[in-house]
Amino acid sequence: MSNEAILRIKDLKYTYSGGDHQALKGISLDVMPGERICIVGNNGAGKSTFFLNVNGVLHPDSGEIYFKGQKVEDNRASLNELRRGVGIVFQDADNQIIASTVMGEVSFGPINLGLDDDEVEKRVDEALTEMNLSEFKHRAPHYCSGGEKKRITIADIIAMHSEVIIFDEPTAALDPLNAKMLEEALTKLADQHKTLLISTHDMDFAYRWAQKLVVFSDGQIIATGTPVEVLTNEAVCEQANLRKPMLMRVYEDMVKHGIAPDDKAYPQDVAAFDHWLESIKAS
Amino acid sequence: MHYQYHVIYLLWLLPPLAVLIAGGIRKAWIHRHEEHHHHGFGHKHGEGTLSIDMYAYHSKIGSWNPKLKIGYGLLLLLICLISNDPYVSFGIIFYTFFVTVCLGELDADHYIGLLGIPLAFMIAGSIFILFNFSHTPFSNALVNIPTHWGYVIITPQTAKATVNLWCKAFGAISAMYMMSLSTMSNEIFGVLRDAHCPKLIIELMNMMYRFIFILMDTQHRMKNSAESRLGYTTFKRAIYSFGSTASNLFLVSMKRGTQFYDAMEARCYNGDLRFFEEKKPVTKQQLFWVIVPTAYFVLVWVMTFQGVNINV
Ligand SMILES: Nc1ncnc2c1ncn2[C@@H]1O[C@H](COP(=O)(O)OP(=O)(O)O)[C@@H](O)[C@H]1O
Ligand SMILES: [Mg+2]
Repeated sequence: MSNEAILRIKDLKYTYSGGDHQALKGISLDVMPGERICIVGNNGAGKSTFFLNVNGVLHPDSGEIYFKGQKVEDNRASLNELRRGVGIVFQDADNQIIASTVMGEVSFGPINLGLDDDEVEKRVDEALTEMNLSEFKHRAPHYCSGGEKKRITIADIIAMHSEVIIFDEPTAALDPLNAKMLEEALTKLADQHKTLLISTHDMDFAYRWAQKLVVFSDGQIIATGTPVEVLTNEAVCEQANLRKPMLMRVYEDMVKHGIAPDDKAYPQDVAAFDHWLESIKAS
Repeated sequence: MHYQYHVIYLLWLLPPLAVLIAGGIRKAWIHRHEEHHHHGFGHKHGEGTLSIDMYAYHSKIGSWNPKLKIGYGLLLLLICLISNDPYVSFGIIFYTFFVTVCLGELDADHYIGLLGIPLAFMIAGSIFILFNFSHTPFSNALVNIPTHWGYVIITPQTAKATVNLWCKAFGAISAMYMMSLSTMSNEIFGVLRDAHCPKLIIELMNMMYRFIFILMDTQHRMKNSAESRLGYTTFKRAIYSFGSTASNLFLVSMKRGTQFYDAMEARCYNGDLRFFEEKKPVTKQQLFWVIVPTAYFVLVWVMTFQGVNINV
């Protein structure tokens, strides 16, 4: 089953009704179950618009979306099926949180799925435990800190048991500690075989975390592949104004100055870099 | 008129007043070691406003059963309107003051401030009931104020009607405040839903309610931003700044409203805004605070009967 795409997007085009130009100019992407994908690109490249289309909130002008092999039609049942399976954690938690207690907020999705009270309560508790929010259950979300609000919005989606979870620039408003907690939460979700799509401007994060990097530029995908594949392509980096991750630059500089062999190792996190240093020292 | 009865009737106000004072003393005693601060209630200048259920969230009687609270608020409202009896109204004013401030622990200054808001409307509204205008003075008038155009007259009837109206309105407002300052909006909507109020109406109310708060919050952010750039330093500049923020306000609020709606739709919202609510059972204590005062108000009503008048 893992060689069938959970989400297949074909030539998706979208223009905002008030907008003068196409925000998405033909996007095609296959997402495999359990994949960790990072989406990078300038502001205004169309990442958020793409996410809203993939979740069925916006309706594409043309193009097709297949969810688990089923074509998504423009009717309520089909769209609800898509929304059930694909959850979005929005960029601005303040514009997502609608309830006045954390419990109420997290229960909103499960209630809309038509679950009974016991099941809703079970899912809320589960999601809150998973995001370390149990003691916040009866608090008002508006009085929580930015990091806590972000975790609440993630719990919102976890409680819906979506297979695919989309994060729109989750690290944008977080301090380093909360960003680290977020990354741990993301890893936990990945370990549960959730499919994760994350848009970010943090190239270091994308480099060490993603299995696949997708580069958006002006409403189009200009590159897909592993982070190393994409980021070693100078033309792509140039066009999308991508800043190379620090570790990659260090590695490339070491190779350039002949300190290290050109072994294409590309260590992607600090631990791997350490390990790599040990191995080249030994040889 | 048997004015001496009214002096005796005033005694009926003593028990609610005593309860209020006792509650106030108890509250002061409990909090005697705390420095006086405003318990985080209310908006201080510069704070955000997107906290729809701020009062209910902080209220100590927020844990009361919402159906009971709403039902009780409505019951007091009805008693107040139908009895048309200032003694009952004042009893309700004192008692709801006690419930909100002493049981609910809302800051007293703040509560009085909130009660002051409708005052302006009441004064404006009652002027034409209180005063009569005539070319000749009335013999039975309390006061005849001669003016250039004629006489402005207050008669015992209009004075009584005005006093009754004020008492009734204040009592009714107090009862509604007791309910709304301690009940989360979604609980109110939940009770309406259980009462088989049409879904469309509930949904509209909910959306409007939310949009008002988005509007307020947006206005607030824009004002802060203009203020930090010295946009409000002079009166002229303040007017200019207000004008330019106001024209932007609607657009920005619409955009935020759309984002909220998108986020709701993304979570399978389909026209029925519901949240999981904590079960809040009715306790004996709650029943005590509901039944005893109600019985007392009915008793006062009977004892100081003024005649039924649903009109004024
Ligand atoms: N509500 C909207 N109405 C009209 N145009 C919009 C709207 N939202 C975004 N756009 C336009 O669509 C394009 C893509 O925006 P967006 O998807 O938000 O990019 P990103 O998330 O990558 O920063 C931009 O050119 C933006 O100006
Ligand atoms: Mg965006």
